[in-house]
Amino acid sequence: MDNHTVIETIDLRKEYKRDEFHVIALQKANLLIQQSEFVALMGPSGSGKSTLLYLIAAIDRPSQGRVRVLGQDLQELSDKAIAQWRNENIGFVFQTFNLIPVLTARENVELPLLLTGLSKKQRIEHAQTALKLVGLEDRMSHYPRQLSGGQEQRVAIARAIVTDPALILADEPTGDLDAHSAHEILTILARLNKEQNKTVVMVTHDPHAARFAGKIRYLEKGELLPEGSSPPI
Amino acid sequence: MWKYIPFAFKNTLRNKRRTLLTIASVAVSILLLAVLIAVYHAFYFREGSPQEALRLVVRNRVSLAFALPEHYEQRIRQLCGVREVGSLSWFGGVYIDSRPEHFFPRFATDPEKIFLIYPEMKISAEQLKAFQSERTSAAIGKSLAQKHNLRLGQRIVLKGDIYPTDLELTIRAIFEGTQGSSDNVLYFHRKYLQEGLPQRRQGYVGTFGILADAPESVPRIAREVDDMFRNADRQTKTDSERAFQLSFVAMLGNVKLFLLSICSAVVFTILLVSTNTMAMSVRERIKEIGVLKTLGFTTGKVLAMIIAESVIVAMIGGVVGCSLAYLVGMGLGGRVPMMSSGLLIPSVVPTISLAVAFVIGVVSSVFPAFHASHVPITDALRHVG
Repeated sequence: MDNHTVIETIDLRKEYKRDEFHVIALQKANLLIQQSEFVALMGPSGSGKSTLLYLIAAIDRPSQGRVRVLGQDLQELSDKAIAQWRNENIGFVFQTFNLIPVLTARENVELPLLLTGLSKKQRIEHAQTALKLVGLEDRMSHYPRQLSGGQEQRVAIARAIVTDPALILADEPTGDLDAHSAHEILTILARLNKEQNKTVVMVTHDPHAARFAGKIRYLEKGELLPEGSSPPI
Repeated sequence: MWKYIPFAFKNTLRNKRRTLLTIASVAVSILLLAVLIAVYHAFYFREGSPQEALRLVVRNRVSLAFALPEHYEQRIRQLCGVREVGSLSWFGGVYIDSRPEHFFPRFATDPEKIFLIYPEMKISAEQLKAFQSERTSAAIGKSLAQKHNLRLGQRIVLKGDIYPTDLELTIRAIFEGTQGSSDNVLYFHRKYLQEGLPQRRQGYVGTFGILADAPESVPRIAREVDDMFRNADRQTKTDSERAFQLSFVAMLGNVKLFLLSICSAVVFTILLVSTNTMAMSVRERIKEIGVLKTLGFTTGKVLAMIIAESVIVAMIGGVVGCSLAYLVGMGLGGRVPMMSSGLLIPSVVPTISLAVAFVIGVVSSVFPAFHASHVPITDALRHVG
């Protein structure tokens, strides 16, 4: 692993029990992503895309194998240390936006900064800057219910980048959006990748969305297909 | 930690109706609790006035229903430390009719002594003289005068029930009581009562009031009075005025246990209500908790924020309940025995009530919060609330 490697997974495997069924969600996943790459993870539902993303974000623990992100072996960290590490290094964008309904756009974006040592004034300035980056400087005091789906997702992206993480993980970020809003969101992610050198990993099953990425990796039935290969149609 | 409080507060506004109802239920419970604690305090812990600490009451050892010979007064007066002795006999009787609104305490007494033994009752020298000099006169408290619209010079009739005689009285004095002492009362001449009684019932009084020279003398005087009449036909039981008042409370049964039981039931009930509300509130937000943990919030921080949210609601309810308790306390003036000037809410009551509200906030949320904060992030994100 060189200095430019952001994500490295080695023989990653995730299995779990659902009632009496034993499910293998991911197996033998070996992934290498370099700094400033924009990678799309594609595959049908149940192929293990989101599982892989959750393991990279340390939201879930692997059953076997190793995950190394930004030089940190995630298995070595306690739950508390992982929470702090995630706050500092990962920006996560969900399919369903997942904004807190009782907070304004600015307060939602400010939320991850509560875990930092910044003063209130600094937190507000950072949140405003992040919202400006996604073009929502005129919607700071709006509540999520007062925003369109596309605007909500832009707030979610602002929340993901407000701590200036090196890695942005997006789980089907355009899944709940119309074509126009989806295009806006993908443009923002591509801009963050190009202009701010953020490494972006995006789960999608939309080929149009995947075209924004510099590299596409396919998963099928829990297996990550070799780089450069795509599943048979 | 304080930077999370605005977020916790905003979460309380998520479902305004539910929050308001929870605050209302906590407030009503805390109101009830505060009033009960105040009653308990008034009965068992209230510090009497300096004058009250100097007074004793002598009654028949068997029961208050049995009288004492009036000549006991002369022997009691001779005891060391006794500054004044006077009699008080509960007349009872009926004023206008026997409806509760026409009821008030009426005592036959010694007009020369009653205002010496009870110096906190303020009366003008002129009216005191008028009261003392006319055998059929009566002195009434200011509250009583206002309540029944009674004036100086007005004649009233008390029909006897315990005593077989009717009394025609003229109001010659209106005195003013102070906090803690009743001025919802009527005093008249003992001698006037005696005149209307058959021979065999004359020469007896209900109780004697003693004014001691110092609070330290009170226990000794009580002991010496009872010793003095130990072998008499009618034995005495002498208590401090405070203990005498508490003996009325004791007649109601085990009031302490009763009050404590109600307090416990109130706290337990509101605990269940609050726990249910918090469980509902938290269950609806499992997915959001997953999002918070994805953003980097630890399990402990999530737990603390949910508990803080519950404590905020409970404390608002506690403050409202305590404020209402003060209003209720003032409203109870003259309606509860021993609380003629209102139920005083001592400073310990808000302290206890708010502490209980705090504990309710913590305990009611700790189990739902613990459960929610420990749901794995992947499960929380999949949760449909």
